[in-house]
Amino acid sequence: MSSDDRTGTLESASRLDRKLARGISRVTGAALGPYQTAVIRIGFAATWLVFLLREFPHRRDMYGPDGPWSWDLAQQLIADNRAFTALMWSDSLIWFEIVYVLAVLSSALLMLGWRTRAMSVLFMIGVLSLQNRSVFMGDGGDNVIHLMAIYLVFTRCGQVWSLDERRERRGREARARGERSGPDRVGPALWGVLGFLLAAATLAGKVDGGFLGGWLTFFWGLWAAQGLWWLVSHRARTAEPRIFLDVLANLLHNAALFMIMAEACLIYATAGWYKIQGSRWQDGTAVYYPLHLDYFSPWPALAELLTANGTLVMLVTYGTVVVQVAFPFTLFNRRVKNVLLAAMITEHAVIAVVLGLPFFSLAMIAADAVFLPSSFLRRLGRWAARARVRLFSRGSRPTIPGPRKGDQRTPEKAEHPHVGFTA
Amino acid sequence: MADIGKRGGMDAYDEGSNPRHEPPDEPEPAAIDSHPPDDRAAPAGLSPDERAAGAAPPPNHPAPPQYDSAHSPPNGIAALSLRYQIAVALALAVVTVAACVHLGMMFLHVAPSNTVTKQHGQAIDEWVYPEFEQNWKLFAPNPLQQNIAVQVRAEVRATDGGIRTTRWYDLSALDGAAIDGNLLPSHTEQNALRRAWDFYVGTHDNENRPDGLRGALSERYLRRLVVLRLDREQAGGQGAVVQQVKVRSRTTNVPPPQWSTEKVSDKPAFRELPWWPVTEADRAAGTRDTRTEAGAQ
Repeated sequence: MSSDDRTGTLESASRLDRKLARGISRVTGAALGPYQTAVIRIGFAATWLVFLLREFPHRRDMYGPDGPWSWDLAQQLIADNRAFTALMWSDSLIWFEIVYVLAVLSSALLMLGWRTRAMSVLFMIGVLSLQNRSVFMGDGGDNVIHLMAIYLVFTRCGQVWSLDERRERRGREARARGERSGPDRVGPALWGVLGFLLAAATLAGKVDGGFLGGWLTFFWGLWAAQGLWWLVSHRARTAEPRIFLDVLANLLHNAALFMIMAEACLIYATAGWYKIQGSRWQDGTAVYYPLHLDYFSPWPALAELLTANGTLVMLVTYGTVVVQVAFPFTLFNRRVKNVLLAAMITEHAVIAVVLGLPFFSLAMIAADAVFLPSSFLRRLGRWAARARVRLFSRGSRPTIPGPRKGDQRTPEKAEHPHVGFTA
Repeated sequence: MADIGKRGGMDAYDEGSNPRHEPPDEPEPAAIDSHPPDDRAAPAGLSPDERAAGAAPPPNHPAPPQYDSAHSPPNGIAALSLRYQIAVALALAVVTVAACVHLGMMFLHVAPSNTVTKQHGQAIDEWVYPEFEQNWKLFAPNPLQQNIAVQVRAEVRATDGGIRTTRWYDLSALDGAAIDGNLLPSHTEQNALRRAWDFYVGTHDNENRPDGLRGALSERYLRRLVVLRLDREQAGGQGAVVQQVKVRSRTTNVPPPQWSTEKVSDKPAFRELPWWPVTEADRAAGTRDTRTEAGAQ
């Protein structure tokens, strides 16, 4: 081996090293995609919130203890499948109403980004409790929200566009002006209350154990982590423990974000590849049929109009399959991805109205939004801020809620490499 | 497919291909006894709080994005001592493995039956159920091409004590009417009856014999649902009490598009269930029975 060769080998090895090091510092150094995680937080929370409000008059028929799918029936099914639902803790109507109202409140507060960590957990509890209570009530939209509610718990989804971020920013600004701000009392109080409730539920034997302690480990772990976080950021003598926890949090966030993106890809891939096998998707008439099902045609005349032309129906049919199958692969090309993303969001918006599936479509659009480019999301944020200022024109200051943490760490082009950041 | 009843129900409305129950899938593993697998997705069990996360002392005005992460203050592992770095490496390994395994499980769960799922179906199901169940065969492999209407008639005891049999009530048509022109259809109109019927069909054979617990549950659910609906329709007149119900489905093909030369039968096919006696246990909140009248509102 000539010395030249050796140098070459060493060089490429060290290049690989450097690449690896950069990858690791990326997934540990920052919670990637702050805008993307914020927009899905807002999207899923808003979808679930509007759904709960829309179904408010029907809530007892759907999830109530004496609805058609009674508490007793649910009890037998859940004894069999072990799904998590706080609604099985008691068969009283009052308890049901409390859980429903808490589900509404937690989705509203998660949407606003108030105490995001705690709210994401409560949001998940609300989603799981209601959906698992009556599994025969849901559709694909509920399914998406169910999965994403679990993943959201692990993301630091309140970095931007949240009340948490605003409070943090104001605190910083006050400190910069030399003002002393009082300690945060709400956080520890919330932590205390939730710990008390969790202890009560645990002592009453309501929370399931299971593999590695199951839900008990999960909830107590989250609670303890919050306590540890507070302790470390308030009491630790060196910065190291805090940085360590921050790194762990980033890791989990990035893994969860990766799962959310992968989940969206799985949805489209499954939907697309199974369609290819169907004779109706092959002969180009598939789109005609759902539009003529009584349960999915709120606007029969519109459906008739949309399906009047056979060629058009075929184009939409083929287009749907192509887009769904292709989408995961286009993530490697930013421009193509964005075009497909626009196509899919449009299709879902159409489905919302034409097939009468508003909540399914909203949930899917929220899932799609995780792939939107940061530049676009930032522009969206500025528009929203401006609109808000105009709306409340007395509003004191037209600052843009543009969080710098994200700005700093989320280079525009960081947005598509997410796909491969398993590191 | 036998969406033997769980999550999604996407399969319900996307169900199907020309013959119903077409996908020759494996027997649905819906009722697997499993542990909540979620803890495994959370290896470090740590979910910190971003409000305290001000790791980077940031400028306090909306700064233009700086694209140079290399020059941000040392806040990643670079700032940590070896002891902590080892801990981070360990966490990185655990999280990476957990994420990859989880993704693999999700993939195998939605993939068609294959060599791996045949060999390790049990392990996959234990991981996936109950919280990660999903079904994305959206209108696939073929969209449903039939309108399946659930209809019901009842034997009622009228206020004068007389026993009468009512006409057929087309509950699905009522659902359809409620959905028409509706921007926000309720799950009670779009999913409840449709999926209750799917649940029943999926847990019964052609002679209407239930396949165990889930079959029995689906019968009681369907009965409670139709009794409630009949009462809301005031079947049998004011004050009449439903004594027995008979449910049937009416399946009609969606007529092929005008531009198509295909012909399909436009004759409806019926599936009729036996008369079911209605007991107190079959009256949900909101039915007319005197016992629940007060509790309903």
